[in-house]
Amino acid sequence: MINNAYLPLSLTLIIALPLVASALVLLIPTRWKSIKGLVSFTVALVTLLISILIYRNNFSFSFPWIGFGLDISLRLYPFSAFIVTAAQGFAVLVSLFSIKFMEGREHEGQFYSYLLITLGLTSGAVLADNLLLLLFFWEGLLLVLFGMIAVGGKEAFRSATKAFIINGVTDLCMMSGILLAGYLAHTFIISKMNLPATGLGALAFVLIMIGAISKSGSMPFHTWIPDAALAAPLPFMAFVPGAIEKLIGIYFLTRITLDIFKLSAGSTLSVLLMWIGGLTLLFAVMMALIQKNYKRLLSYHAISQVGYMILGVGTAVPIGIIGGLFHMINNAIYKSGLFLTAGSVEKQTGTTSLEELGGLGRKMPITFICFLITALSISGVWPFNGFFSKEYIYDAAIGKGLIFYVMAALGSFFTAASFLKLGHAAFLGKLQERNQKIKESSVSMLIPMIVLAAFCIFFGLYNSVAVKIFEPIVQASYTGKETHFIFNISPMLAAITGIILALAVLNHLLGVKLGKDGLHASDHIRNAPIISWIYTKAEKRWFDPYEIAMKLLKVFSAILLWIDRRVNWISDVFMVKVSYSIGSAIRRVHLANYPVYLIWGILGFAAVTLFLIH
Amino acid sequence: MSLLIVIPFFSILVFNLPFLKTLRKAIFIWSIFLFLSQIVLSCCSISPSFLTKFAKPLHLFNFNLNLDGLGVIMLFLSATILLFTLIVSHSFIKEEKRRFNFITLLLFTLSALNGLVMVRDIFSLYIFVEITAIISYVLIAFDKDMRAMSAVFKYVILSTVASILMVSSIAIVLLLTGDTNFTVIYEALHMSGVNPLMMLALSLFVCGLFIKAGLVPFHGWLPEVYSYSSASVSILLAGILSKALGVYTLIRVLKNVFGLTSQIGTILLVVGTASILIGAFGALAQKNFKKMLAYSSISQVGYIIVGLASLNPLGFIGAVFHFFNHSIFKSLLFVNSAGLEKEIGTTDMAHLGGLSKRMPITATTSVLGILSAAGIPPLAGFWSKLLIIIALFVSGHYVYGIIAIFASVLTLAYLLSMQRMVFFGKLNEKFISVKEAGFSIVLPAIILGAIIVGVGVLYPLVFKALILLLA
Repeated sequence: MINNAYLPLSLTLIIALPLVASALVLLIPTRWKSIKGLVSFTVALVTLLISILIYRNNFSFSFPWIGFGLDISLRLYPFSAFIVTAAQGFAVLVSLFSIKFMEGREHEGQFYSYLLITLGLTSGAVLADNLLLLLFFWEGLLLVLFGMIAVGGKEAFRSATKAFIINGVTDLCMMSGILLAGYLAHTFIISKMNLPATGLGALAFVLIMIGAISKSGSMPFHTWIPDAALAAPLPFMAFVPGAIEKLIGIYFLTRITLDIFKLSAGSTLSVLLMWIGGLTLLFAVMMALIQKNYKRLLSYHAISQVGYMILGVGTAVPIGIIGGLFHMINNAIYKSGLFLTAGSVEKQTGTTSLEELGGLGRKMPITFICFLITALSISGVWPFNGFFSKEYIYDAAIGKGLIFYVMAALGSFFTAASFLKLGHAAFLGKLQERNQKIKESSVSMLIPMIVLAAFCIFFGLYNSVAVKIFEPIVQASYTGKETHFIFNISPMLAAITGIILALAVLNHLLGVKLGKDGLHASDHIRNAPIISWIYTKAEKRWFDPYEIAMKLLKVFSAILLWIDRRVNWISDVFMVKVSYSIGSAIRRVHLANYPVYLIWGILGFAAVTLFLIH
Repeated sequence: MSLLIVIPFFSILVFNLPFLKTLRKAIFIWSIFLFLSQIVLSCCSISPSFLTKFAKPLHLFNFNLNLDGLGVIMLFLSATILLFTLIVSHSFIKEEKRRFNFITLLLFTLSALNGLVMVRDIFSLYIFVEITAIISYVLIAFDKDMRAMSAVFKYVILSTVASILMVSSIAIVLLLTGDTNFTVIYEALHMSGVNPLMMLALSLFVCGLFIKAGLVPFHGWLPEVYSYSSASVSILLAGILSKALGVYTLIRVLKNVFGLTSQIGTILLVVGTASILIGAFGALAQKNFKKMLAYSSISQVGYIIVGLASLNPLGFIGAVFHFFNHSIFKSLLFVNSAGLEKEIGTTDMAHLGGLSKRMPITATTSVLGILSAAGIPPLAGFWSKLLIIIALFVSGHYVYGIIAIFASVLTLAYLLSMQRMVFFGKLNEKFISVKEAGFSIVLPAIILGAIIVGVGVLYPLVFKALILLLA
């Protein structure tokens, strides 16, 4: 607790400090580029400390800015405080990791600068109590996203463009949604908004929802993530799609379902959200299963796990929402942990292609252990954190319909299967010739992984802590008074989970037997009848909305070009011809002698006189 | 104040005294000094306190003299353009005797223009208009070029008609009011109300000035005169002479004598718009640099008239501002054409091309002039056109406003195609050895270009000064 008088300053610092520092990072001359990472780390750490100091305050303030409903109003309350603190925590860990990882890479300075901007804008978006202000920060994130992917190199530029276009379109939806919501509510102050999710309100909800779930990487707005995974620098993947985007995407989704709109359980919109969540988690994990690249496989899981969160929040019942939020923070922890292990492997071996990996467990034991813990968490194994959040979501889903539970359980099966495959292919099996001389990563890269793995265990063992964190967010909306939720894990569901995990192990053993090694352990699923056809099409990007849209766009632009040529003919050929013929006519008329000019003058004079005297 | 008229006039007399022949070599320096001091003086006069101290009503040979903000701007412009004409002419007229005569004429022009600007008496105004016109006949025919002779003949005929119209008008005014003083006439007219005879006088005078200003349909003489007169004279004619004779006098007479009524506003609107359009379309079809500039002049003067016709203070400021800008950019473009004439010997665009590589300064300043003429921000011409168009919209003349915008596009079209034909594209083999025009042509071009940029960028200050001067 600190003095209230410092709160506005602290909030401003949380947002402004990283933004200012990002400019400083760019100003540091290349000679001293080694301290750029250190600056980023220190700034993130300072903001984290500030956040922790003011964590327990409930506080909002605003001061006028542009006017017209756009004032700087910030609100600190348990939910925003938690998200901000978490984001800063990830920024600290990723900065620390990157110091070694990014060493000697091109655009190192830009990377840290973008990282800090992302941190500042995220804090701004989360703390904003004004939808327009939120939008301002949110759109800023889009720009940084582009820059962060683009620093990966030439190939990355294409992915960056793709990410930019997809998120640009969805952000446009969100922008219209926000304007509509503001129009309906006569205010843009979030804490004053309370709209029914019907009629125009439903439209506004869907539009904003598109922005929020697309930010978190849900289907069908996910397709840039796997592309970016290969191209963008790895810490970016761990930080942005791994952690930050989940945090603010799900944060905002929760805000609109709980605060801005009142989404009632069982309503059409709730069911819609649950379907989006269910399909996302299932399809993305199916794609993850067949990947042969460490980073790409993880990136599909980054999409798949969002499905669980959306499913949980979409149920609109307390246990589902708390489960979704719990899963959000769990996922952010283990997913960035997993991405960092991928980074560690990439730094040491120079590749993330699974065909060139194998047997790394002995060479990189600590990385392997961190991988193991985080992989067990994501697979939902007791007593790691993923188990508890998933169980809550199952509990909520089964209450809303068996189909949702089945999707979630199937997703769980494939998650476990794909991580068995990944672990087997990367860390077990035969060590490749080229990897004989590798060593464990340096300490500054190991520490973030260890911390994240430790958090996986902590949130697993003390899962009630998490429930306490998210309690106040939900209780205000559902009961209106301070209530304590106590959720018991249903023994039956837990048992089913156990069976599913056991099945996944059996499936893996079968796959290894059929495919000869860990890498090909999923081939029997890949080549199964009907599924193989779908997989082939998916690999050809038949189901990528971006590619489809781009194809449609080509047709559309051809039509527009045709029209444009016609219009162009009018402006470039027809108009010019007409102008020049008028011009030549005037020119010919002026080749006359003075009597003609005189007559013009006299006629003009006559006209003027007549007009005046009349 | 009357010294502005008297000093140039007496210096002509002194230099032409038969026993002071050795002094004649100094006339170049002396006239530069005179022009410069008038520029400095007019710049100082921007401060209103200076103006009131400086400009006391005065009677000299029965001329009724006075000076106001508009007059100060005119004094500045005439001295500036005369100065540049003098500098440019230095590299065209080499022979000592001819140069002396030419400079004498320029000094005479200065004296006459200053008189024209300051008189407050309709008959004296006419006298100065005539003096200036006659000097301009001589200047146009100065090279004794056949085409210039035939052009000046047309000019003399039409100009004489204009003089007849104006004298008749003055006769009627004298008959009706018994005086030629501006304020007396103005008051008398207001007392008497609408009177057909008075309207006839107005029509006569205004049409006379339309001819002098070269507005459609009174413009027949203008294209040939501008394009066939020698390089330095075109600068003077297009930059200040015909504008002072026609446009300034029109503004003065309408504001101080007859009053800007809505009737006269309508006439100005029609005549101005016709000039804008016919000038622009005419320019589009031209194949000669100078002829294109001549048509462009008709079009730009149309803008000034249209601004005046909006009948609101903003339009008036816009019109005067555009007057100023037009003088600057049109002289700049004519300076550039003088450079072409000097270095290449032709201004026929079909033969030119790619000259920006050989004449970078000329090409660059020409771009500045063109963009200012077409009204591209932040150059000076943009702001004045903007003011005029806003004024038109404020007064509810939407159609005319839209035509003005449209014609702006035409301006850009013909001027850019000119720039492309002359300066861009492939360099003609013939011009491989062409050099940048000499110092005496490049220096004025650079200064005029700097004025365009400076006035454009410092527009807020300029606008404030204009309001102070014209309010």
